Amino acid sequence: MKRSYVIKRILYAVFIFFVVLTLNFFIPRIGVRDPAERYYPPQGAMSDIEYEIIKQFTAEQYGFDVSTFQQYVRYLNGLIHGDLGTSLRAGSPRVTELIGERLPWTLVLSVTTLIISLVIGLLFGTLAAWKRGRWQDTLLLSASTISIALPAFFIALMLSFYLGFELELFPAYTNPNMVAQFDWSLEAIRVVMNNAALPIMSMALGGIVGYSQTTRNSVIAVTNEDFVITARAKGLSHTTVLYKHVLRNAMLPLATSIGMSISGLIGGAIIIERVFNWQGMGTLFLEANSTNDYPLMMGIMLFLSAFAILANLITELFYSILDPRVTVGDKR
Amino acid sequence: MTETVLEVRNLKVAFPCAGGVIRAVEGIDLVTKKGECVALVGESGCGKSVTALSIMKLLRTPPSVSRIDKLELDGRDLTHLTDRDMERVRGKDMAIIFQDAMTALNPVMTVGKQIDEVYRRHTKLGKKEAREQTIRALELVGVPEPRSRAKAFPHELSGGMRQRVLIALAFACMPKLIIADEPTTSLDVTIQAQVLDVLKSMQRNHDVSALLITHDLSVVANMADAVYVMYSGKIVGRAPKQQLFMDPLHPYTQGLLASVPRISDGKQAFVQIPDTVPHPMRKPSGCYFHPRCFRASDRCREHMPRLENLENGRQIRCWHPLHQERGA
Amino acid sequence: MSRRNVLLQVARRGGSFMSLLKKLWQHPKGRVGLVLVGCLVLVAVLAPVLAPYDPYDVTQRVEKGLHPSLAHPLGTTITTGQDILSMLIYGSRVSLMIGISTGVAIAFLGALMGVMAGYIGGFVDNLIMRTVDILLVIPTLPLIIVLTNLLGRSYFVIVMVFVVFGWTGLARVIRSLVLVLKNSNYVKAAELAGASRWYIMTKHILPGTSHLIIMNTTLTCAGIMVAEAGLSFLGLGDPTAISWGKMLAEAQGGGALLFGAWWWILAPGVGIFLAVFSFMRIGIVMEEVFNPRMKASSSIYKLFKHMNNTYLDEVFRSMDNEESDESAERPNPSDAPLPEGSHD
Repeated sequence: MKRSYVIKRILYAVFIFFVVLTLNFFIPRIGVRDPAERYYPPQGAMSDIEYEIIKQFTAEQYGFDVSTFQQYVRYLNGLIHGDLGTSLRAGSPRVTELIGERLPWTLVLSVTTLIISLVIGLLFGTLAAWKRGRWQDTLLLSASTISIALPAFFIALMLSFYLGFELELFPAYTNPNMVAQFDWSLEAIRVVMNNAALPIMSMALGGIVGYSQTTRNSVIAVTNEDFVITARAKGLSHTTVLYKHVLRNAMLPLATSIGMSISGLIGGAIIIERVFNWQGMGTLFLEANSTNDYPLMMGIMLFLSAFAILANLITELFYSILDPRVTVGDKR
Repeated sequence: MTETVLEVRNLKVAFPCAGGVIRAVEGIDLVTKKGECVALVGESGCGKSVTALSIMKLLRTPPSVSRIDKLELDGRDLTHLTDRDMERVRGKDMAIIFQDAMTALNPVMTVGKQIDEVYRRHTKLGKKEAREQTIRALELVGVPEPRSRAKAFPHELSGGMRQRVLIALAFACMPKLIIADEPTTSLDVTIQAQVLDVLKSMQRNHDVSALLITHDLSVVANMADAVYVMYSGKIVGRAPKQQLFMDPLHPYTQGLLASVPRISDGKQAFVQIPDTVPHPMRKPSGCYFHPRCFRASDRCREHMPRLENLENGRQIRCWHPLHQERGA
Repeated sequence: MSRRNVLLQVARRGGSFMSLLKKLWQHPKGRVGLVLVGCLVLVAVLAPVLAPYDPYDVTQRVEKGLHPSLAHPLGTTITTGQDILSMLIYGSRVSLMIGISTGVAIAFLGALMGVMAGYIGGFVDNLIMRTVDILLVIPTLPLIIVLTNLLGRSYFVIVMVFVVFGWTGLARVIRSLVLVLKNSNYVKAAELAGASRWYIMTKHILPGTSHLIIMNTTLTCAGIMVAEAGLSFLGLGDPTAISWGKMLAEAQGGGALLFGAWWWILAPGVGIFLAVFSFMRIGIVMEEVFNPRMKASSSIYKLFKHMNNTYLDEVFRSMDNEESDESAERPNPSDAPLPEGSHD
């Protein structure tokens, strides 16, 4: 891995992060002349003079009393210290605290889904490629078209209905006490897995089909390349050709896919979390939305973006290890 | 009498597809003797590359279907060998050099490793010894600084270097037969000359037989001992090199020779053979060449001529070979 | 360009559009897709005529939570007593409108950006591609949630965000193609002849990408419709409009699961599925039409399974003609037993 490439990529990521955090700063100011407007309590029975005082006080409290530039500087300063702001909730918890509480729960869903989808997807995709034209392959193709047309949340609802309500195999709604009662005991873990089953199933279906299709296409494309014929012409054994030549190259587009999935690991489960009322980052964000908790919302947004940038960076660097052609110029 | 290294008898290859059948190779015979370089010449689409792949049994079914009466390499009958068995033969007793070195090499593997592979597969050499052999092979084909070059990836080398790597790959185990499929077509003219020299010296110095597939007559003139001319899936002629160039029998061959511009010619216009090669799914009746042949008669239009064996190793498939006129 | 030229251009485009439709129609799967899309459009346009009740009309609400019956083939909602079938029919309007308008807008923006980035290159290319990178990093769903909060819940906001973030995919793909087209002979010839950049971009490069644009747009529409369903489900769209996603949310919130009113959930789901599926079908068939790669996969396999061994023997036998002078009997390709539906 060329050092100059790595440095360039990192600098670029930092640059993008900077642009994004600036956007993040300005977004809540859209649509209103006075950015503090959204924080003012309703006027109610107050007289105009009283209301003016309350407004000024609110503005000061939330840091809107200084110039925009100074606010920006404060914002940057906070970020350097890892402070994403303070939520408007009762008790004024820090945004980072709240994220810290809920993030692991989202990861339970996303990471499990990712692993399941990858493993099964890779296996089935390679199978479909090997049996090209036979029923396994056609099945995959039909499954792909169908799975895109069936949104994950619809599958979630159906699963919730049949497996949850009708057959009562798994809870249709997440147990609201699950988080509070979690104590790392075996029983608690079992409860979590039981509740996580349906959400994971809803997401994994699409994931499996997606990875299978990508793997299958990639393997077929690579098998038709000339160097595979060369490998066979050298008299290498079937397995050698498959692993060292075909799969090694077929992995490349897959690595990109995985990278994209990783960036979506945290923010992608919002709708599913809502369906099952799973207390993760998604529901946290929706809660912030319904209570107009702007600091929390924007804090989460920034966190998600930062995570995406980081995930992309790692994927790119990892990809450049896999594919030696990449360090030569811009691969796009 | 020098021994026969390669004997191919009655090779037929077809590609069934939705609109019909592509008749790629229609029953050809090839013979290569020890140390000989035999060229297989023809325009694009006449089935030369398919022939090369068939000899190595690299064609897959589907999409192709092939039949062959006999395939013999240095006395060993390969006709009924399965793919698994062929794995032992390929790379070791016979090897192939492909046209486009960039796509023929695995882009994510160093060239050194790709050559090491051949040694480790067909000999008992360990990792280090294989690498030593690889370096020696690269030296042999004229790659400068082979030790460091071996650690390079294909895209880091120039076109000529890559082609040399392919040659090194093919000659690694000193096979009995090398098939070279348009080895220089994708290279610059100057590099072509260099690569051809390498190929020639490797072949001559190590007494390896070669089947050279090309459409470029200058390459044939440079390297070949004997030439097969192929047209639309059939062999239409065979001759020792000198005789082919000096005294062509088949009108097609004459057309090919005439269409190569020569400085000494003094001709004003390009000579071409009219029309184009027949579509492999819709071939003409009778002799496949008759629509483009200036000597075509009714007989040519109705009946496909037989391949006749003449003296001194010549073969001709034509009702009216050029010799007839000259009344030899 | 003179007026006549413009008209000719339009006619030519229209003509090629018709030929495209014809090709799709000929393909059996394409036909299905076209029919479905056609029906969908008809349903959306003729909604007031087709729907037995007007779900927007409060006076037409009836008893809540009715099971499917003749009067209400899909029953009524538990929460408001609206006829579900009518809601289903009216819901198509939202999906189609958003899907198609967003798709078209993205087609314009994405193609423009892609062509400019690819052809002009240099600083413009850099600028556009860096913008793409930035846009890709921002999570769209949370952003839409934020924006609908700040600017009010409306489909306009949603469409805006879709378009602003959605052109990136098409732009990248178009740009790759343009990079290839840039080096083709006819473009170089035009450059040598002194044609202006815009001229080349619009008259030479853009038509070369048209196939890609159309195919991509179809698939984009499909994707947008899915996304819109999700957003409506979260309640981010126009709260007064009826959309399939919203129906699903109401169903879940209204206790459809509890009371076993599975038809309430199934109906909008099937609606979404059919809409997305039909567009995807067309997109996939278009790809086959434009890239006639030996649609290898199953057709070749079926071909081989069905191919009579005797037919092949005939073919190979006809290649031997060494023995006789008589004209070889070459088997007629039309005799070859072709499998049914070799169009797979």
